[in-house]
Amino acid sequence: MLFLFFGGVIKVEVLNINGAERQFADGVPATIADLLNHLGIKAATVVAEIDGTIVHRDKFAKTNLRHGQSIELVRFAGGG
Amino acid sequence: MTDKLVIADREFQSRLLVGTGKFASCEIMAEAIEKSGTEVVTVALRRVDIENENDDMLAAIDRDKYLLLPNTSGARDAEEAVRLSKLARAATGINWVKLEVTPDPYYLLPDPVETLKAAEILVQDGFVVLPYINADPILAKKLEDAGTATVMPLASPIGSNQGLQTRAALEIIIEQANVPVVVDAGLGLPSHAAEAMEIGADAVLVNTAIAAAADPAEMAVAFKLAVEAGRTARLSGPGAVSRRASASSPLTGFLRNK
Amino acid sequence: MIITEKGLDQHTQHWPSRLDNVTAGDVERALSRPAGTYSLEKLLALVSPAAEEYLEEMAQQARQLTIQRFGRTIRLYAPLYLSSYCINSCRYCGFNKDSKSERKRLTIDQAAAEAEIIAGEGFRDILLVTSEDKEHVGVDYLAELAGRLRGSFSSISIEVYQMSESEYAKLFAAGIEGVTLYQETYDRPAYDYYHPAGPKSDYENRLAGPDSIAAAGMREIGLGALLGLTDWCIETLALAEHAHYLMKRYWQSHVSFSFPRLRPARDVERSSFKHLLTDKNLAQMITALRLCFADAGLVLSTREGADLRNHLINLGITRLSAGSKTNPGGYSAGCDSTEQFAVDDNRSPAQVAAMIREQGFEPVWKDWDSAFGIDH
Repeated sequence: MLFLFFGGVIKVEVLNINGAERQFADGVPATIADLLNHLGIKAATVVAEIDGTIVHRDKFAKTNLRHGQSIELVRFAGGG
Repeated sequence: MTDKLVIADREFQSRLLVGTGKFASCEIMAEAIEKSGTEVVTVALRRVDIENENDDMLAAIDRDKYLLLPNTSGARDAEEAVRLSKLARAATGINWVKLEVTPDPYYLLPDPVETLKAAEILVQDGFVVLPYINADPILAKKLEDAGTATVMPLASPIGSNQGLQTRAALEIIIEQANVPVVVDAGLGLPSHAAEAMEIGADAVLVNTAIAAAADPAEMAVAFKLAVEAGRTARLSGPGAVSRRASASSPLTGFLRNK
Repeated sequence: MIITEKGLDQHTQHWPSRLDNVTAGDVERALSRPAGTYSLEKLLALVSPAAEEYLEEMAQQARQLTIQRFGRTIRLYAPLYLSSYCINSCRYCGFNKDSKSERKRLTIDQAAAEAEIIAGEGFRDILLVTSEDKEHVGVDYLAELAGRLRGSFSSISIEVYQMSESEYAKLFAAGIEGVTLYQETYDRPAYDYYHPAGPKSDYENRLAGPDSIAAAGMREIGLGALLGLTDWCIETLALAEHAHYLMKRYWQSHVSFSFPRLRPARDVERSSFKHLLTDKNLAQMITALRLCFADAGLVLSTREGADLRNHLINLGITRLSAGSKTNPGGYSAGCDSTEQFAVDDNRSPAQVAAMIREQGFEPVWKDWDSAFGIDH
């Protein structure tokens, strides 16, 4: 999404993360690894799904993100 | 001790499986797990809370010591359960899954139709499936036919702590099963767990009763002992509850001197 | 399963000494277990010599359990023998190929005529029986006959030479819902001795028969050992293990036990058999099996005499044949073919039905459940 704003260009992009829309003023992070860093989440225990496809942890640094994608970040929690 | 619990291609000494939910803290959970003597712990998959980076509970569980058994709690149909199973497998590399499809948020009773559907898909995809079900003997046989590694019938609804409400049906399942029967859900007291083992269950799964106890670590010990006691009793051939018939008119008099 | 293709495996070698070591306490413990549930240990106690003095109590429990599960009813059926030409040489059978029996085989029309007589007596449950005569009484013959009988009988079963799963499936589709196939004896050396030649001489193949029957979709599987060939206690244990295996694996099929006791037959020297059962043994076997299998059918044919049958229906028996002719064409007048075995209860079906009523049971000719069975 491009806004023309007083001659400047601001690139605001959106990702749907865990069901909630999140805006990124400077465009979405380049990769999943970058996203996790941005959010302060340790990659080691997280599973990611982009638009319904599972992404393995070893691909986090190589998987690019695009505006408008739906991301699920899931980790283990207590349960019976 | 040669009385091992065999599920799929793995052997276990302990017949007590423990759930990790509802504990006050990771430390308390870890201590209870250790005291229980368990070798299998269940975990759930939940969305990471973006706003509040919680402690990572998984770090508190020694993955070399305990087999992690992800459950699909939260799934309300087969599709969601399959999706969660694949996520779990991607996370851990383990292909074991406790299949739990609970569309009803009040009693958390498992959906038999969606469970069977999901089980068939997951077995085909190479999962070792441990399905959580109501104590339905026909469903248990159908799941076994579909290739699940165990059946896990409930004793009473999750968290109700009511013990073996489904005892009569459990006995039928145990009698008819060719796979291990793990009684899961509703075991509120160690005596319930012992009773399940006495009637012939291969193992039990306990979560709430331990996590919600005032002293979870000690309650875990109590359950450990109860499961061992029940199993030992089962193997020793219980004597009997008297139910002798009283003879009214002799049916075999005609056989005298034959 | 303890029974393997290689005959009773090494566990079972200990059965004889275990039987001898059963104590009164063991029997009492077995009788206190929930009636109708099976374990090898429990049955071992109940068929042991030590259990003989508990026979009255076993009978009481067996009767109570049977009435609870089956109601106060006894089902009636009739056998229809189709052929006595046989290519097997079973030493105990009047039809064995070397015996000088008068052979006969029925055409489909003749068989249908016999069936009509049977139906006229009131039967709606018929058992088609034949010797190993596949060439003339083959799968197609049986399928065609079943088609013709379907209108008159609500239940058609067979007790014939062993078939393949696909053959059984074909017969199931034709309307036959049950198959009886006796192992005769689970003791391999004895089996080899008594079945020296012919297709039936293959022990492993015979043992796998019920699996094919169940896999083909048949609703009813009839098991049995020919009582008197070997030690009846051991046979009962093996029979139970076999049944238990089938019940767990083919959970949608219903298992029944029959109790064929060796009977005088043409050219069969009875005195050469060392393990003949007494009536008491038979009663113990029937009640022991009932106390282990709450829902199994227990079937008694007209091999047994009237008086014994009258009493045994109080001990757990659920199905009786009546007015049986065990020679092909026997129901029609003027037929002199040889019987497979000598019938001992010669009462007419009506007389047997009257006896059943006197004992407080209802004779059931037609099982209503089957009428709503497969939609043909």
